[in-house]
Amino acid sequence: MLSSFFFLAETTGDVADAGKAIALALGIGLGSLGAGIGIGNIFGSMIQAVARQPELRSELTGIQWLGFALTEAVVFYGLIGGLLAFVLI
Amino acid sequence: MSRLFTLAAALFLILPSLALAQTTEGAEEEFDPAHEWELQTWVDLPLGLDINKAVAYVILGTVVTCVLGIVLMRVKFGREPTKRQAVGEMIYEVAQVQVAEQGLPTKAIGRWFPYVATLMIFIWVINMLGFIPLPLSDETVEIAGLDLPTLGIFAATSTLSVTLALALMTWIFTHVEGIRANGARGYFKSWIPEVPKAMLPLIVPLEILGQFMRLISLSVRLYANMLAGHMLILTFIGLIFLTHWAVFPFSVLMGTTFYLFEVVIVVSIQAYIFAALSAIYIGSAIEPEH
Repeated sequence: MLSSFFFLAETTGDVADAGKAIALALGIGLGSLGAGIGIGNIFGSMIQAVARQPELRSELTGIQWLGFALTEAVVFYGLIGGLLAFVLI
Repeated sequence: MSRLFTLAAALFLILPSLALAQTTEGAEEEFDPAHEWELQTWVDLPLGLDINKAVAYVILGTVVTCVLGIVLMRVKFGREPTKRQAVGEMIYEVAQVQVAEQGLPTKAIGRWFPYVATLMIFIWVINMLGFIPLPLSDETVEIAGLDLPTLGIFAATSTLSVTLALALMTWIFTHVEGIRANGARGYFKSWIPEVPKAMLPLIVPLEILGQFMRLISLSVRLYANMLAGHMLILTFIGLIFLTHWAVFPFSVLMGTTFYLFEVVIVVSIQAYIFAALSAIYIGSAIEPEH
């Protein structure tokens, strides 16, 4: 029982499926790496900006969330591309 | 009192994961999160106007949006603002200051504010309905001899057709409004940036492609966000059935965390982004930069 708990997928010899799964995971992983850096940049800059000029906070909040969503969406383009490749090909 | 409220809120937030667990229990033999997105026809209508799960959710979302608008906006003005009025004014202010005034030029706000505000509230409502367990699902459970639909969470916006329809609406309005404000010649001329003549064959196709990429990015952003959110929750709860019952605490904890993240942040942000980008696109078509 314990061994099946740790090794979820048994090797069946279907290398094509394994390749697709690895490609999907790699694509999403690398995509989220970039988006993580981007989102970090956005919030870091927001903190700096508000620390320097606190009176601009309400104006900047809208732009901050706009940038957040635009950056975050990049991961999902990768996800959709990966899923399409995984399901269709 | 506040402690009681916290307890009730916590219970309410834990319930969806239980409901999810129930949803998947029927299919424990071959559990696959992707089954949630296979839509079965409920009512067969001609011309492809069938009613399935996503359509039912969209209809429900429309009704809830109308009711929400009437309840929050048609308030009797008194000396003291009521709670209803305060919430209504808050939503109105976000729609006006954060969405409409950021993207639309002043002369177009009167015409396009209703559209972007409706878009924002409508998308927020469908996204939110997607995280409330409702008895609208393809699977049934037998209780006391009756086949009742199981509770399930499903957002209509996690199907591409719904978000593509919304994005197409914005896209068509953008071009219609651009042509009406600048004339067909002036509008299409505004697509061509001021670059040396030799660069034009390279730049113009890119600009035209960019217009179509807007359509894709607008629809896929909302679609993929909701899809990924639901898939994460389903997968974490599904781990119980796929692996070992001992992962139960872990998967409920992770499922609840992602559920909270989606409800608190993603739902509102996506509704706001869709409306704000629609406003920006329409505004930039009415008043091109050059």
